[in-house]
Amino acid sequence: MTITTAHDVPYLDMSAPHFAMASEAVRDARDANWYARTNYGLAVLSYEDVSSLMKSPKLIQGSAAWPEHNGVHSGIFYDWWKRNLLVLEGEDHHRIRRLANPAFSPRKIAALGDRFESLANELIDGWIEDGQVEFVEGFAAPFATRVLCIMLGIDESEWGTINRLASTVGAALGVTIKEDIDEVDAALVELQEYAERLISDRQQNPKDDFVTRLVEANREGDRLTDPELRNLLVLLIFGGMDTTRNQLGLAIQSFIRQPHQWELLAERPRELAKAAVEEALRVNPTTRWVTREVAETFEHKGLVLEQGTTVHMFTYASGTDPEKFANPERIDLEAEHAPHYAFGGGVHHCLGHFVARSDMQAALPALATRLANLSVVPGGDEWMPDSGNTGPVRLTIAFDRRATTADGQQTA
Amino acid sequence: MKVWVDRTLCENHGQCAIAAPSTFEMDDEGILQYTEGFPADELEYIEDAMDVCPVQAIFLKGDQ
Ligand code: HEM
Ligand code: HEM
Ligand code: SF4
Repeated sequence: MTITTAHDVPYLDMSAPHFAMASEAVRDARDANWYARTNYGLAVLSYEDVSSLMKSPKLIQGSAAWPEHNGVHSGIFYDWWKRNLLVLEGEDHHRIRRLANPAFSPRKIAALGDRFESLANELIDGWIEDGQVEFVEGFAAPFATRVLCIMLGIDESEWGTINRLASTVGAALGVTIKEDIDEVDAALVELQEYAERLISDRQQNPKDDFVTRLVEANREGDRLTDPELRNLLVLLIFGGMDTTRNQLGLAIQSFIRQPHQWELLAERPRELAKAAVEEALRVNPTTRWVTREVAETFEHKGLVLEQGTTVHMFTYASGTDPEKFANPERIDLEAEHAPHYAFGGGVHHCLGHFVARSDMQAALPALATRLANLSVVPGGDEWMPDSGNTGPVRLTIAFDRRATTADGQQTA
Repeated sequence: MKVWVDRTLCENHGQCAIAAPSTFEMDDEGILQYTEGFPADELEYIEDAMDVCPVQAIFLKGDQ
């Protein structure tokens, strides 16, 4: 057993301008120790320790005080934030999850798979003749937003409005939130009104759809109240849109680096769809870390974690840990791999993961079977910082169109 | 019918204990404990638990 003294513990400056998760600094820190100290609390780096601490009952989600930390103490955003599932704990959290979970049943979501696939193909049709596309604008953003429209039963032509409102809030969810709070509150009000209209419509005209299932969810007489339904729908829009958009861009980035794996996916799209999505999430997750806070002081591997300490679970570092994965940074669609933590874990485990998985399992094979020889157009890409939630701002790619043979098979 | 959890898949996320707390429980270490037998009116919640388990590790075994 190694005794780790404070002296040996690596330090990562996460606010340095060039800090990146996919870097030698983070890999070296992981090789040296299971955790690092940072200017934002502790960072857990190894697969083994992310796996056990992510789900530990001694830790809570830890994002509740985020608005206060950034100078926002009241208002519409503040009130919404304090009541959203992500920051609720204990029975308040579990009650809403219990009522909401059945609407996200994988069997119900699987029924939407064909619609996700035709959406992907419709978007690809829009630019496949061009040999080049700005992937975020041409695919990832409309796909992610329209998937939510399909799920929520919103007319897909409304996707531009939803995208604009959610992006207004999303863009301000950084250190600038205090300056932009009026704009954020206004956009949030519009989104909430949207959600309210959907709810009252399904209350009056129930359909066989997702929002109706939420509206009618009932356990021993307990139901989601109208404000709870509204807050949840708004959370789904935020939690589902940017994440899916970014993850699709990151998946393309990874497959451009490994054209052989892209060809495998094109040859066996149905068989390898699931592995393609899981591998992209493992080696290149949009959620680069998942936040936790120590709820009660405890010891882990000789380290005392004091109550109130912020702990960041590094998903990229853990998903590419050489102690756990052979050839850790490379996608291997044919290998068996341990689960990754890009969807977090424990009681806060992503509520929408079956949706995200099934929509990306439609998107990636549709892209692979129609596009070959992908490359990034020089100067055509721009990226968010590689920390927190990351992804491409712009990703212009060039490609060859695959020819379709008589039996529907596509060849390069 | 009996509940059976495939421990080689189970990741101890505890979503089952939220869905069907009479059958599934997380202990102080965060490890899943569960009872195999259940009364008939619990089945609905066990099915919710099977659905929600992120790694789909929960199964029903026996006379179906
Ligand atoms: C690639 C896409 C996605 C990724 C990588 C992702 C990732 C995550 C992560 C890391 C968390 C926090 C988990 C934790 O703290 O342990 C989370 C929570 C959540 N996600 Fe996702 N997500 C994605 C898509 C979606 C979609 C499509 C929806 C909705 C339809 C959604 C809804 C939510 C909700 C509601 C929560 C809060 C759950 C809770 O606190 O109980 N996510 N997600
Ligand atoms: C449901 C899925 C979600 C996931 C997976 C997720 C994940 C993350 C992650 C990994 C970070 C660290 C990023 C950073 O500090 O740069 C973060 C920060 C943040 N997230 Fe989320 N988040 C989710 C939903 C939401 C929602 C619904 C909101 C609010 C509308 C939100 C608001 C924030 C804020 C305010 C920060 C802090 C940004 C900062 O410190 O710069 N998140 N989130
Ligand atoms: S939800 Fe699934 S993974 Fe989580 S504890 Fe229950 S059985 Fe295990």
